[in-house]
Formats: sequence, C-alpha cells, structure tokens
Amino acid sequence: MFEMTSVKAIIYTPNPDRPELARQIRRVESDVLRMGALVEKSFRLSHQALFDRNLTAAKELPLLDKQIDRFYKKIESDCTVIMALQSMTSKDLRCLSAFMQLVRDLERIGDYAKDIAEIAIKIFPYPPHPSLPDVALMSHHAQAMLAASLVALADLDEVGGRSIKRLDDTVDRAYEKLYQTLAHQRDVQGVIEPILLLVLVIRCLERMADHATNIGQRVAYIVTGQR
Amino acid sequence: MLLLGFLLGLAVGIGFWVWQQVQLKLYLGQLLKPLTPRSAKLILLQPQLSRNLALVKQQQQNLQQRLQTYENLLQFAPFGYLQVDEENQLLWCNEQAKEILYLQRWQPGQVRLLLELVRSYELDQIIEQTRDLQRLQVREWVFHPAFESAAAVIESKSLVLRATSLPLAKGQVGVFLENLQPLLDMTQARDRALSDLAHELRTPLTSIRLVVETLQDRIEAPLDRWINRLLQEVDRLICLVQSWLDLTQLETNPSIQLNRQSLEVRSLIASVWETLEPLAQRQQVQLTYSGPDHLWIYADKSRIYQVFLNLLDNSIKFSPPSTTILVEAKAIEGNNKQDSAIEINIIDSGVGFCEVDLPYVFERFYRGDKARSHSSVLDNSSATTTVGSGLGLAIVRQIILAHGGSIQAMNHPKTGGAWLKIEFPEVVANS
Repeated sequence: MFEMTSVKAIIYTPNPDRPELARQIRRVESDVLRMGALVEKSFRLSHQALFDRNLTAAKELPLLDKQIDRFYKKIESDCTVIMALQSMTSKDLRCLSAFMQLVRDLERIGDYAKDIAEIAIKIFPYPPHPSLPDVALMSHHAQAMLAASLVALADLDEVGGRSIKRLDDTVDRAYEKLYQTLAHQRDVQGVIEPILLLVLVIRCLERMADHATNIGQRVAYIVTGQR
Repeated sequence: MLLLGFLLGLAVGIGFWVWQQVQLKLYLGQLLKPLTPRSAKLILLQPQLSRNLALVKQQQQNLQQRLQTYENLLQFAPFGYLQVDEENQLLWCNEQAKEILYLQRWQPGQVRLLLELVRSYELDQIIEQTRDLQRLQVREWVFHPAFESAAAVIESKSLVLRATSLPLAKGQVGVFLENLQPLLDMTQARDRALSDLAHELRTPLTSIRLVVETLQDRIEAPLDRWINRLLQEVDRLICLVQSWLDLTQLETNPSIQLNRQSLEVRSLIASVWETLEPLAQRQQVQLTYSGPDHLWIYADKSRIYQVFLNLLDNSIKFSPPSTTILVEAKAIEGNNKQDSAIEINIIDSGVGFCEVDLPYVFERFYRGDKARSHSSVLDNSSATTTVGSGLGLAIVRQIILAHGGSIQAMNHPKTGGAWLKIEFPEVVANS
C-alpha cells in the first residue's frame, strides 16, 4: 500500500530536484490532514451542541471555522505556487489539483458544522423532538464517513475512497425517511420552528455526507487518475 | 660459498620483509592520520592500536546494549511515548502510545506522517509548538478517537490525555502521553457516591430536626440546653448536606441554573455586610470599600450573595480583632468588549494562606493550615453560611466559574493576609 502512494514514492526518486518537491508536497499534505482534523473536530462539536445541548461547544465553532478558512486559503495558494514553480509528473500534478478540490469539500463540511451549531442555539429552548435520536444516528453515520474519507486520504487508499459512496446510501435513506416523518407531521401544537430547524439539520448532514463522498472519490482519482 | 649464498639469500629475504613492514606502517600511519595528530609516532604504537580498536568495538557494543535497554524500558513503560522527526513523521512509539492513540495501523519501520495515523489537531499543535519554542510543553485535552463506522463512533469513549513534549536534536520531538481518564472516572465515581449519600441523608436529617423541634417545647430548663445544642448540630449537618448537593448540581449543570440580572456590586456587598454585622462587631472588624459608586455585573443575585457571604465570613473569622477588611472593586478596560472585566479584591489582615496550601484551597473539604481551618467557637453562630464545612470556597469557585469568571487565592504582600481576587467578564452598562 505504501509503495503505490504517490506522495511517498517521490521520496525514493533519485532525481536531485525531487526531494525538495517531495518535501513541499508532504507539507501541503500535512496541512490538508491538519485541516481535516479541525473539520472533524467541528463536526463533533456541532453534534455535541445539538444532541447533548452543549452550548459551549456551539460557541467554539465560529472560531474553528475561521481557522479552517485560513487553512483552506493557505493550502490553495501553496498548491498554486508549487504547480507554478516546479515541473512534475502527472501523478504529482493530479495529487495537488485533487488537494485543491478536496479542501473545498472539507471547508464546506466545516461550514455546515457551523450552521448546525447555530441551529442548536435556536432549537435549545424547545423540548427535544421524538425524531432526535434518529437524526443523531444520521449524524454519527456522516461523521464516520468523514473519518473514513480522511483515512483513505492519509493512506491514499483507492478502494477505501471508493467504498465511501456505499456508506452514503445509508445517510441518503435516513434523510428520506426523516424528511417524510418531519414533513408529514399533522396537528402540530405551537410553533413549527423546531421541526423546520430539524429539517435544516438533516439537509446539512446530507450535504456533509455528500462532501465526504467527494473526498473519497478524489482520493481514488489521485491514485488511479480515473474518475 | 654455499654459506655465503645462503646468507645473501637470507639478507635479501629479510630486506624484503623489512621493506614490507615499513610500507605497512606508512600505510597505517596515513590511514590513521585524521584520527590523531601524532600519527608519525604511530609506527611505534601498532600493538596499542589494535588494543584501542578492540576497546572502541567493546564500547560500541556497550552503547548499543544500553540503547537497547532504554528502548525496551520505553517499550514497556506505563505511559505512552512517541517520537517524530522534523517533518512530523512518526519514527517510533511504544505499546502504550499505540493503545492510547489507536495506532495499531502503524508498523515499526514505517515512516509516516503522524497526522496520517492520528488526526488529532491538539497533538499536532503541541508538537509544532515544542519545536518552535524549543521548550518543554505540557497540555491536557480530550482526545476523541475517530472511527469509520457509525456503530463504533457511538461506542467510542473519549479520553482525557496529558501530553508532555520535549524538543530533541535535529528538530525531532518526543512526546509522553498519559491517560488521565481512569483517574477522572474514579474522581467522578467518588463524587457521585458522596452525592448519593448526601441525598439519602437529607430525608432522615429533616425528620430528626422535626423531632428535635417537637421535643424543644416539652423539655424544661436545665435540660433544654442539650436540646438547643442538638438542634444547632442538626442544622449544621443539614446545611452541610445541602451545600454538598448544591455544589454537585453546580458542577454538573453549571450554566443552566443561573437566574441572571443586573446587580450593583457596592450595594450587594453592603447588604452582605449587614448580615455579617453581629459577627463583625464581636470581632471588632471593619469593612472598607473602595471603587466606583456604580459598578454593575450581570449575575444570579442569590448565588453571588452567597459568594460574598462565604468570602467575607471567612475574612472576618481569620481577621485579628480591630482590623479592617478591604474590598476593592474596579472595571478593567480591555481592547474590545470581550476583554473588559470587573475585578473584585477581598483582602484581610489575618495570617493568610499557607503557601503549600494555595493550589488546593478551592478543593472540597481541603483543610490546610490549622490556624485557618480550626473550627472556632464562632462556627455555630453562622448557620447561614457554609464556612466551617470545608465546602465554602469550593462553592464560591463553582458559582464564579458558572458565571464565566475566575477566582484566585493569594496572600497580600502588604497585609500578609488572605487575598481573594475575583474576575467577572462582560461588563454590563457601566456608565
């Protein structure tokens, strides 16, 4: 598994220009993984905010989001600089361009986590909705997908990357089911804000899972060059 | 003639041998030139040379062995250890570290980025910081292992870890990892058990009090003295149990219980002092307040009242007669609204805290120096406060933390007495 990874393979290339390039790519990869760790953290915090009613966690998120944005901009410009100044193989190029797209996906997941935290603050005064445990399970599934996509990225594991698409089906089904339950509720007592907010939450989660799937696909693309 | 021929042959042979030896010594001398400046004399030192070589070899073996021993020791150490190179690639880690960080995927000899194996932003941060500052760093954080299936995510338990990282040569960083979770679990279990006990005690204590009250009316003089004493003690016990329950509730549910409103600091402290007046008069202790006339905080009135009651009661008890307790309040202007705070200092002229006790004074039932903690005769008279129970300062701290503030205990350099410094964030309408 180790030898086929492009990032690692470069280290062993005898060409004297390469070690520098390898180091640069590795540095970008570290930043991508760092950003991944942050996004994972904000996803987890958003989960705590919404399901454990932890408002301190919700307040931490805007700060994390700023950090994630900084990483996003830095990685994008680093990739551009490397691509502009170094000549490289098609695989390295593929790797860098995939990184650039993949951080976009990561950044979106971070944004949705922030949205969920905002919703958590709005939904706080209402009593918990009976569908909440199902939503929590959906959130767990989406988090597992993000973790799987980041592991695939770290290992540059093509098979792992592609398999995330299958996990996405679980989340899609949960979305469909929850949407039906929430949308077809009748004779609702009082305001419908909590229901509305929950619909927004499942929408966010569904989008987050989609972006995680995208990351998996991009990992496969780095390795094989095929979409 | 034959003999001459033989001698000649021998001479030539010996000549060759000598020449070869000289050549060899010259060669050796050249070879060892960089090793010693006195290489010219080496020709004479050949036997020593081989001895030295053997010695060096022996030393190397010893060093190798020591290295092996240290590695083995680290391997089975009761804490985690990992080492990364200047690019944050994992070079080595021991069994404990593998277990704590779920590093089973890593095989010895593999060189991989640590972040590829453990996506922990905090761990990465502490390593970077150690390398940048070239200084030992200690940090505690909650580590959440990531899993790739929802079922595992639900079952996963987060761990409180403490990392101590130190800079090594060539930009490498070594990190010791301690799993604090078992300790934390134990503390929680202990607190829970005590809270359960307190909860169970409350009902029988209330019954006892009712019985004592009933008896009080029926028992006549000289014996009613005992009943009154009993009532006081029961009240103390009830108060202790109640404070413990309050404290637990504050700890587990810090922010929800607060009933915040705008409070004026000066009048609040004045009303607390009024309550404590009888006690203060007996000790002939005065209160001096310095600070702006109108300083507002946004807080829960009854809780903050309790804070000052406990603190001032403490101060009075530990003040020598005819001294003054100083209360200082001021607003600290920050660069923006979030930085500004209200600071309140309470300073007495007593004996102060014992230096070694300072880190622990806010812990439950912590009793340090005898001079400060010895329950005096005055204890019984202050059933309104929790001082004397060993919970007073712990409750104070929890209340202030619940308000998002902080409290520090020090000794005042001038008076030598206790100095408690409270800070509240969020200045509300201070104009």
